[in-house]
Amino acid sequence: MSGEVLLQAVQVGIEFGGLRALHGFDLEIRQGDLKGLIGPNGAGKTTAFNLLTGVYVPTHGEIRVCGERVNGRKPHQINRLGLARTFQNIRLFRALTALDNVRVACLSDERPLFTRERIAELRRRAAGRSPVASAMDALNNYVDWWRAILLTPGFQEEEREITRRAEELLRVMGLEHRRDEEARNLPYGEQRRLEIARALGTRPRVLLLDEPAAGMNTREKGDLMVLIRQLRDQFSLGLLVIEHDMKLVMGICEAITVLDHGVTIACGAPEGVRQDPKVIEAYLGDSYLAAHGLQVPARTPTSETPAP
Amino acid sequence: MSDFAQHLINGVAAGTIYALVALGYTMVYGVLKLINFAHGDVMMVGTFLGYAVAQQLGYEHQSSLWGVLLIFLAAMAGCAVLGFVIERFAYRPLRDKPRLTALITAIGISFTLSYGFQLDFGPLPGAAPRAFPEVIAPREWLVVGDRAVVIWNWQVISLGIAIFLMVLLQGLVYRTRFGRAMRAVSFDHRTAALMGIPVDRIIALTFMLGSALAAGAGILYAIKDTAIQPLMGLYVGLKAFVAAVIGGIGNVPGAVVGGLLLGLVEEFVVGYSSSSWRDAVAFGFLIVVLLVRPGGLFGSVAAEKV
Amino acid sequence: MPAWLRGIMPVVIAIAVLVVLQLLLGDLPFFVYLASIVGVNVILAVSLNIVNGMTGQFSIGHAGFMAVGAYTAGKLSLLIKDVAIAGLPGAVSDQVQFVGTLLAGGIAAAVCGFIVGLPSLRLRGDYLAIVTLGFGEIIRVVVQNLDTFGRALGLSGIPQTSSLFAVWFCVFLVVLVARRIVGSTHGRSLWAIREDEVAAEAMGVDTTSYKVRAFVISSFFAGVAGGLFAHFVPIINPGSFTFVKSIEVVVMVVLGGLGSTTGAIVAAIVLTLLPEALRSLFIQLGGLGAGASLAQKVDQIRMPIYGMLLVILMLVRPQGLFGTREIWDMMPRWIPRPRRVT
Repeated sequence: MSGEVLLQAVQVGIEFGGLRALHGFDLEIRQGDLKGLIGPNGAGKTTAFNLLTGVYVPTHGEIRVCGERVNGRKPHQINRLGLARTFQNIRLFRALTALDNVRVACLSDERPLFTRERIAELRRRAAGRSPVASAMDALNNYVDWWRAILLTPGFQEEEREITRRAEELLRVMGLEHRRDEEARNLPYGEQRRLEIARALGTRPRVLLLDEPAAGMNTREKGDLMVLIRQLRDQFSLGLLVIEHDMKLVMGICEAITVLDHGVTIACGAPEGVRQDPKVIEAYLGDSYLAAHGLQVPARTPTSETPAP
Repeated sequence: MSDFAQHLINGVAAGTIYALVALGYTMVYGVLKLINFAHGDVMMVGTFLGYAVAQQLGYEHQSSLWGVLLIFLAAMAGCAVLGFVIERFAYRPLRDKPRLTALITAIGISFTLSYGFQLDFGPLPGAAPRAFPEVIAPREWLVVGDRAVVIWNWQVISLGIAIFLMVLLQGLVYRTRFGRAMRAVSFDHRTAALMGIPVDRIIALTFMLGSALAAGAGILYAIKDTAIQPLMGLYVGLKAFVAAVIGGIGNVPGAVVGGLLLGLVEEFVVGYSSSSWRDAVAFGFLIVVLLVRPGGLFGSVAAEKV
Repeated sequence: MPAWLRGIMPVVIAIAVLVVLQLLLGDLPFFVYLASIVGVNVILAVSLNIVNGMTGQFSIGHAGFMAVGAYTAGKLSLLIKDVAIAGLPGAVSDQVQFVGTLLAGGIAAAVCGFIVGLPSLRLRGDYLAIVTLGFGEIIRVVVQNLDTFGRALGLSGIPQTSSLFAVWFCVFLVVLVARRIVGSTHGRSLWAIREDEVAAEAMGVDTTSYKVRAFVISSFFAGVAGGLFAHFVPIINPGSFTFVKSIEVVVMVVLGGLGSTTGAIVAAIVLTLLPEALRSLFIQLGGLGAGASLAQKVDQIRMPIYGMLLVILMLVRPQGLFGTREIWDMMPRWIPRPRRVT
C-alpha cells in the first residue's frame, strides 16, 4: 500500500535544557499508510507529535510535509500544507457548537485576492520565510473580513459552502444530530469523534491521532477501529496513531514504531514488535523477562509503569 | 560630570524604592500567577498609616529613633493585615478560575482603594495632598566639591533601610523553610499541596510579606517626596510593576535589578530632557525590553504543555 | 430577498430611522449632548468587546486610541475649518469635512492599533494588559508635551459639527460590524482563539494575524469615537483620556459580559446614564448648595463604586449581565430570530 510520501521525519530530535526528550527519530508516512507510535508514558510520543505539527521547533533533524521542509514553521502553516492532528487531552472549542468547531477548521481555502497556490509557491521558493507571501496573506485576510462585514453575495455563498462541508463531516462521524449542541455538553466519546471531524475539516493529507481511544469501552474501540480504516480510505489519508491499547494498535496498524525515553527501540510489523525483548522490557520490566526465561537485552534504562 | 553623578545617586535612591515594591509584585506573581494591580495602592495605605501614626506621636517623638521605628512597624503591620484580608476575601475564591477574572478583581480593588481614599468623609483622607512629617531632619551627609554633588542623610538612611529589607527578604526566601515552601508553591501549587505544604497559609503569608514590604517602601517614598496623596499608589505601583516585568516577573533578583534600572533610566531621561516626560519613560522602557526579550531580562517564557 | 440586498438592507433602515430621530429630537441640546455621550461610550464598549470579549485578549488602553482619534480629527478640523469645499452649500461642506476628519481619526487610531498590536499580541495575556495600558499613558504624555495639541490645556474651538444622527449612525456601524464578524466563520475563529489558542493554531487559524486584525478594527472604532467626541465637546484635553477612562470602558464590557455585544451596549448605556441621572437629580433636589456638593460627590464616589462593582461581579457573577449571549438568544423561540448568514 505505497503511495506518495506525505510526511517525513529524518533524525529529528529536541532538547529541553539538558533533557533529550526525543532523539534520532525517523518516520515516513505515505498515502494509505496506517502506522502506530507506542511506548510507555513519558517516552516522547506526544513530543514527537508536537514536533511534527510545529508546536516545538526541532533542535536536530528535518521534517518534511508533502515534500516541503517545515522546520521552524508555525503550526497553522504546517496545517495548511496538509497535516492535521487531534489532542491527547481533548482540546475542543468548548463554548462553540459542534458545527462551529468544524466550521472553524473548514475556513476558506479559497482566497479572494491571491490564490493559495501562488502564496505557497512563493513560500516554497523562499524556504518558508517570505515577507511578500505574508503580505499577500495579510491582504487576503483583510479583504476577506471586508467581505464578511459587507455581506457580499460571494461571501454568503462561501459561508454556505463551509457549513455544507462541516455538516458533511459531522455526518461522516455520526454527529449530525449534535450539530447545534455546545461542544462541552457532548458525551466523552462524541467529543473524541468531534475532534477527528474538526481535524478533517482542514482537508489534511496526513492525520495524526493522539490516543483517539482513550477512555472508550470495548465496543466503542471496536467501532473506532473500523472508523479509522474507513477514514483512511474515504479521504485518502496517511495516518499515524498514538495509542496505549495494544489490541487496537496491533489490530489496525501495519507498522509500529516503539519509543522509550525519547529513543526508537523498535520499528516494524506488529508481530515482530510484540515479541521484541526490548519492547517487552520497556513495558514490563526486566524481572518479567527473567521470570519467563527470556534473555535480557543490552542495557536500557528502567521504564515507568506501563499504561493501562 | 557632577550632574551625571548626582543623577546617578538620585536614580539609585528612586530605584531602590521601586525595587522594594517590585519585590512584592514578583513574589505574589510567583505564588499566585496573578498581577496584583492593587499592590501600589496597598503601599499608599501604608504611607497614610505611617502619616497617621506620625501625627499621633507628635512633633518631638516622630523624629526619634523609636518614633521612626514605630511608624515603620505600624505601617508594615497594618498593610500586612490589609494584604491578608484582600487575599482571603477577593483572591482566594478565584484561585482556580481563569486568570483574567482575578486580574479584573485586582483592578477593582486598586480602584476601590485609591479612589476610595480620595473621598472626603470619615477617616478617609480626601484628595488633597498632605505633607509627610519630617521624620528625618534633612542634613547633608556628603558634599563633593562646591555643592556639585550632594548626598543627603535621608538618602543614605533610606538606602540602608531598603538594602536591609532586601537582604532580609533574600535570607527568608532562600534560607528558611518558609522560603522553600513559597518557592515550591510558585512552581506548582497542586503538587506542593500534595507534599504537605499548607498552600493557603503560605500564600497568605507571602501576600502579607509583600504588603509589608510595600508599606516600608511607601514610608521611604514619603520621606523622599514629602507630598502624599491617595493616587500616588497608582503610578508608583504601575512603575514598580513595570520594573518587575522588566526583570522577569516571578524572578526575585530580577525585580531588584529591574527596579534599579528603571530608577536610573527615569532619572537620566528626566534629568536630560524635562520632567513632563517622566510617566512615559517607564512604559517606553518596558516596551523596548519586551520587544527584545519577551520574558523580561531574567525571565523565561514558560512553554505550555500541549 | 436577493443576496446583495441583504447586506445593504439594515443600513438603509438605520439611516431612515435615524433621520426621523434627528428631525424630531435634534433641536434639544441637552438631550443631544447626553445621547452623544452615551453613543460614544457605546461605541467604545462594543469595539473593546471585539478584542476583550470575542478574542479573549486583555487590552486596557482603549482610551489611548480614543485620544489618537480625537486629537487627529480635532486638529484636522481646526486646520480646515476656514476652508469650504467649492460647489457645496456651507452646511454640507462642513459635514463632508467632518466625515473626513472622522475617517482620518479612525485610520490614525487603527494604524496605532497595528503598531501596538503586532508585537504585543505575541506576549502573554498579563503582559498585553500592561503594554496596552502603557501605550495609553504614552499617548497621553506625548500629547501633553506637544504644542500642536495644546499641551495640558488641550484643543478648543473645534467646530461642533457632530449631531445625533452622526453619533448614532456610528453606533449602528460598530454594532453592525461586530454582529457580522461574529456571525461569520471568521468570528467563530476569534472565539476559537479565546477558547483554546493552541488548538485554533493547529486547525489552521493564524492566531497572531487574527488577533491583530481584531485589535485594529477595535482601535479604528475607538478612534472614530474619539473623533465624534471632539466635535461635540467644547474642549478636549489629555484629562479626558486617562487610563481611568480605559478602565471605565473595561468595566462596561465586563459588566455586560465579555463577548456579548448586547451586554456591552446595555452596560455602556446604564453606566453612562446612571451617574448623569444621579447628578441631575441631586442638583434638582438641592439647588445650588447642598445639591451641588452631592452632585460632585456622585462623580467622586463613582470610581470606588466601579472598583467594588468589579470585585463583586467577579466573585458573584463573573459572566456579567449577559454572559456571552445576545438579546435574541434570550427571547422566546416563537419570535423570529435574525437569520444567520449560513
